[in-house]
This record gives sequence, C-alpha cells and structure tokens, in this order.
Amino acid sequence: MSTDTVSLLDVSGYLPENIVSADYFAQYADPDEVTSNLMFKAPKFRRHVAPGETPADMAERAVAPILARHGRDVLRDIDILIVHTQLPDIGIVGSGGDVAKRLGIAPEWLIDLHNGGCASFVYGMKLARQILLSSDARSALIVTIQNVAGQVFTQEQVRGKAQAAIPGDGAGAGLLVKSGDSPILDIETRHLPEFAGQMTVIADPPRRYWEAGSGEMHVGFTESKIAKVLQRGNRLVPEVANTVCGRIGVPAQDLDLLVTNQPNRAFLRNWRDALQLPPERHPDTFDDCGNLFGAGIPVTFDRAVDEGRVPAGSLVMFAGFAHAGDFAGAAAVRWGGR
Amino acid sequence: MTETVTDEPIEVPELDVPGVYRIETMALNEGMPLVLDMTRAVYPHDEIYGQYCTVTEFVAAPPDEVYGYLADTRSLCEWTYSMRGFERTDDPEVWVSDDRIGSHTRIYTRTVANPEARTVDYHCAWDQADHLWMVYLMRVVDAQVVLNKPGSVVTWTNCHHPFYEDNGYPETEPAGRPVWVGDFWHLFAAGHLLELRNLKAICEHRHAAGQPIKPEWMD
Repeated sequence: MSTDTVSLLDVSGYLPENIVSADYFAQYADPDEVTSNLMFKAPKFRRHVAPGETPADMAERAVAPILARHGRDVLRDIDILIVHTQLPDIGIVGSGGDVAKRLGIAPEWLIDLHNGGCASFVYGMKLARQILLSSDARSALIVTIQNVAGQVFTQEQVRGKAQAAIPGDGAGAGLLVKSGDSPILDIETRHLPEFAGQMTVIADPPRRYWEAGSGEMHVGFTESKIAKVLQRGNRLVPEVANTVCGRIGVPAQDLDLLVTNQPNRAFLRNWRDALQLPPERHPDTFDDCGNLFGAGIPVTFDRAVDEGRVPAGSLVMFAGFAHAGDFAGAAAVRWGGR
Repeated sequence: MTETVTDEPIEVPELDVPGVYRIETMALNEGMPLVLDMTRAVYPHDEIYGQYCTVTEFVAAPPDEVYGYLADTRSLCEWTYSMRGFERTDDPEVWVSDDRIGSHTRIYTRTVANPEARTVDYHCAWDQADHLWMVYLMRVVDAQVVLNKPGSVVTWTNCHHPFYEDNGYPETEPAGRPVWVGDFWHLFAAGHLLELRNLKAICEHRHAAGQPIKPEWMD
C-alpha cells in the first residue's frame, strides 16, 4: 500500500424516485417570471425527495452501491466521514452524525462540511486527502446531499418562480483510500471571501429564516446579481481547472473527461469552451436531474462510469464553483476503473 | 442634481425598423437572456479580431504629451517593432520608411491628427503611396476622465481591408518578396499589443525621468 498517494477509489450516486417534469412548474408559472433566461432555462426533468426523506436516508442510498461493489467491510476502515448537506434537517447541526449512525460507523474524523456548495465534493476530496496523508486514518467517505428541490422549491409561493424549475435532488458519495489505484493527482481550491454572503435566501415579507412568518424562503436573485455570478463562474472554473492542468503538466484539451457542477446550460457550454473540450468529454445530467448542487459532480461522474464513458486510465477533471463565487475547486484523478 | 430645462422629455415615436432591440419591444426579461447568452468564458480569436482589431493600454503619462508624440510620424521609428529609416517624400504630408518585417519593403505613411479629440490616424501602404489603404486608428483618452486617475488610455484599431487578403497593387511588389502584410493579420492583436507596450514603456520611462516624451531631435 502506497502511503504518499490517495486514490478516489469509487464514486456512486443516488436519485430519488420521484421524477418531476418541467410541466409541473409551467402550470404554476407566474407570468412576470416567465423568461427565456438561460440561467433559468428549465431542464426537462429533475428528481424531488419523497416527503419525509431525510439527508441520512439519501446518504445511505448514495453509499449503497459502493458497499455493494466493495463489500460492507469497507465501512470498518472509514476513519474520515465528510458530509455536505444542502438543507440540514435542523439549522443547528448538520447531518454527519445521522449519516454515521445510519452506516453504523464512528469515524475519528466526522466533518459536517457546510461550505464549498456546488463544489463541496472537490473540497471534501482535498480535506480527506490531507487528513489521510497526515494521519493514521485508513480511508475516507465523502457524501454530498442535495435536498432543496423537493422541499424549498415546491412551496406555494416559490414554485411559480423561474428559479424553482432549476434544482433537482440527489446525493453522491466518494470513497478515498491510501493507494495508487485511482490516484488524485492534484487539487486546487480557492476561497473568495469577498463574494461570501452574496447568495441570499429571502422571504416576502422579510424575516430571518428561523422566524415565523407568512413568506416562504427562496433564493434572492436579481438581474445584476445574475450577471455578476455568470461572469465569476465563467472565470473561476476554467481558472482552477487550468491551474491543476498546469501543475500536472497536461493541457486542458487533453483531459479525457471534465465533470463540473451544473447550474445551467450557459455555464456548461462556457466552461468546456474555455477548456477547449468537446461536449462528449463533458458529460452532464442537467436535462435529467437539473442543478444537483453539491451532488452534481459525483452523480454525473457515476453515471458516466456506468455508461462506459470512462475507461481505466482516463484523466478526469472535477471542477466547480459555489454560491455567488465564494469558492472554486478542481481536482484531477487518473481514474482506475471500476 | 441637474434640473431639466425643457418641459417635455424627447420620446422617439415607434421606430419600426427590423432587427432593432429596444425596451419598448423587448422587455428586460427577454433582453437579459439574450445578452447573457452572448456572454462567454472565452471567444474564438476570429470572432474578436477577425474583422476589426482593437488593442488598448494604459500609459502613466499626460495625454497631451502622449498625443503630441504619436502625432509626429517619426515617433513610429521608436515605438513600432519594424518601421525604420524615415524619409520625406515629394508630398510634404507623406513619409516613407522601411518596414523591416518584409525584406526590401517600403512603407508610406500620412498622419492625420486631431489635437482636440487626440486622435492619430496613420494612413499607410506597402510599396506605393497612391492609395494609403492600411489605416491605423489611434486615440489618446485622458485617464482622469475614464479611470479617475492621471495618465492616458490609448486605443488602437485596425479594420480588415480587403487588400490585406489580396494586394490591390501587385505590380508594385518587389520581385520575390516572400511575405505580404496581410499574412500577419491574425497576429495583429498580439503584435500591436507588443508595440503598444513599447509605446507605454517609452512614454512612462521618459515621463518618470522628467524628460519630454517627444524627444528633442524631433523638434
């Protein structure tokens, strides 16, 4: 066993059963909200969590295929569990503890990762790799859970908004071990605190999210904010991916696969343009699953592997950015195959 | 706040011109997506520099001085990459020099400058002076006005005249010359930026040293 290399050994995804078509939102669409805006161009389908489905339920279902492939014994070596939950059941504490309980593990390192947003899987990889390399920890499990679509965006006052049709629910998981089988070659993460807090959650009439009130919470989008975020995303994701490419000595156009978060079609197009990659090397699940937030990267990659699009030895770049641009990350993996 | 002095604001009647996007006929929720879609992370070189080539640079030196330097045709022998050996021609407005990027190439230049607008247009051509079709449009802007800091902003635009593709005066070409100026059109953006940075370096160096930007030998 190599101790100076960490591998992303396996990835899996989970999508809730409830498939919701764009028509669901169209019937409620507020005429003032009808737009051909690319930022809000509805995907055909997205999944919504079932009523009462918890982040721990989703995590368990996301991890299940990994356990099926590697045996439940892998859980015995999980010393690091990193869980990113888009919408924790209670605002006070994340879902990491619940997830560990569900999996029947008590890892030494249990982290509720509350930042990193749509790129939290990459940030989780960086944290897990660092802990693995600098401790006796044997392996790590990263779980990213997206559960706002069926909860926040189906509310009566929210479902008619253009933004409501974009998100989709799902969860992804990644298993990291100390080995050279599917090595993580390099990771670049950047925090941009100057953009922190610019993604807002609002209600009308205004209130704090935990206060009682009649207005339902949704994301505060304005035209100027959209323009700024588009510009930042356009810049940040190619920047971090190119930084990794530079360090590993591979031109971006030589990447075998690019897997990004998927806020909308414009970003998907612009990112692959910037990295000079054809669409077939940049799989996405946007039309089927919508914006999966932090679960997007593992879910999309898992599907690409399932479809046979990622032969062993492929050079894969995971990249994304979060919120209004407060974080961006990219990780390169020489995929070992499944 | 400036008070309005007319009773009625000017409202344009219906334009009824196809292909015109105005808020009256395209609401913001339609206009926004249009421009968001036009906004990319990267652009093909040809889309940006194919038909028009503009480069821009900030110069930490006073705009009138930078303009005065550019307005003298002979400054080209300092800040361009390859124009050297300026001489007068029969026409007092036209200079001839070597463009050392092409072997045995003479380049003719007539400079049209406007001190009020600080525009300097170099009308040039290789090989002949009858038709100066290769035009370099430059403008010096007071950076105080546009960037709120002292200095100059210099813009430089070229348009892709058809003669770049096909020399309109092949009979004037020196025999056996291996290059034509239009062969380099796709390098203009980078090449001109390099020269603009030469200009910046010269102006800033002289200004910082307390010397006149336009050297005494030009007076």
